[in-house]
Amino acid sequence: MECVVQGIIETLHVEALEILLVGLCGAPKQRVRVHELCLKSGPNLVSSEVRLLCDLAKTTPSWTIRHVGGAMRGAGADQLSVLVRPIAESKASSTALRFFYGIGYKLDHEVLKTGFAFQFQNRGANLTVSVTSTNRMPRLHATDDAVPITPGIHLVEITAPAAPENYTEVASAIASFCEYLSPLLHLSKPGISTGIVPTAAEAAASLMSSGGGIKIL
Amino acid sequence: MTVKWLMHFQPNQGTTLTSQVMAEACAVAESFPGVSRDGRWRSAMTFYRAVPRDQSLPAPSDLPRDLIGISLHDLPNEYLFVMRSQRLILRAHSSVQTVMDKLQSYKGRFFINFEGLQYKWGDFKLRIGKCLYNPNEALRGIVMEVEYLPLSSMDKSQRVMEEFYEIWREAVASKLLAGQFINTEVNFVEYGLGDSYTPQHTAVLYGMCVVQVIASSNKNQ
Repeated sequence: MECVVQGIIETLHVEALEILLVGLCGAPKQRVRVHELCLKSGPNLVSSEVRLLCDLAKTTPSWTIRHVGGAMRGAGADQLSVLVRPIAESKASSTALRFFYGIGYKLDHEVLKTGFAFQFQNRGANLTVSVTSTNRMPRLHATDDAVPITPGIHLVEITAPAAPENYTEVASAIASFCEYLSPLLHLSKPGISTGIVPTAAEAAASLMSSGGGIKIL
Repeated sequence: MTVKWLMHFQPNQGTTLTSQVMAEACAVAESFPGVSRDGRWRSAMTFYRAVPRDQSLPAPSDLPRDLIGISLHDLPNEYLFVMRSQRLILRAHSSVQTVMDKLQSYKGRFFINFEGLQYKWGDFKLRIGKCLYNPNEALRGIVMEVEYLPLSSMDKSQRVMEEFYEIWREAVASKLLAGQFINTEVNFVEYGLGDSYTPQHTAVLYGMCVVQVIASSNKNQ
């Protein structure tokens, strides 16, 4: 299970966001370069979807198989400002793509996500804040030739692992952290767009001129 | 990972495999000078079948019918899949079973456990076990996994493993069992595997061995 929120920020403000995050997180920045392949079962199989993530940021690429379940529903879930959903993940060998092709899955689409991320703790929850550009590939698997799908816009995502007995606390930890970012961007449940924040330019200018100066959590 | 060979007991034609063979094989191992019992071992295998979208129809022929998953006794946090027809192996964290459960496109249809006794003999580890259908525990075969601890190279360990195999065959023959142990031969190159031994090699060995065990069991019933 994980809790997740998303938002967008103009690319020209990403550097300011990074300055803010460095100050807030107190954790080293991690480079993100993930080739994400979305596979769907063929017409003969029970309908299902799986994602393969190939982490290209490291010297040796590593693969993760990921299944994302439907969002939690109900009155309790509606009251949360974060989305809660079941996930299942597994590290796997580099034969993962051939394996899923072999059992009848087809490539639906692929993207390359590039940017950076911070992993840290807030109120006991393990948060990951990622700031990425989503890129498409002009040819199959051509990650070196990827181009942004939405030039000038970056996606900001905060995720945290959760369990049935603590997801409300994790959601609260994410929500409280989001408030620190509110001058630059608003984060909400995936699928609910809040657009660009009007104060973003002013906040970014302030961060760039002050070089941060933010109290670390 | 150090080199392993995997053998199964091939009963003589017309004879039925019984638990007595397991007892006799263990007695052979225990007769080796300096051998010590080293606990028990257990590996588990699942045979998967595709779940067709229209479940009133049989599974389409273009989907694999030989997908197996293996949990190995010495790698409790990992899980391996083997598709012999495509010479394909996937090695993953054990949580991949949860992913497959969520996908629901393939389900475990029947299950086999390999379990028995483990021995340490000099530089060798011997694991003798029953091959049992789960859950009714019907005996389908007897297997022996031989591990040579000093080496990870299959080429370099070939000679010493062959010598052990001969010692083992002669010792078993002296017990006048109605059958013999056959080594599982695999062309690992076809699976993209090299000389350095890995869990993927073990998975392929078990995948091949179980086919021979089941065929042998069906023939003698």
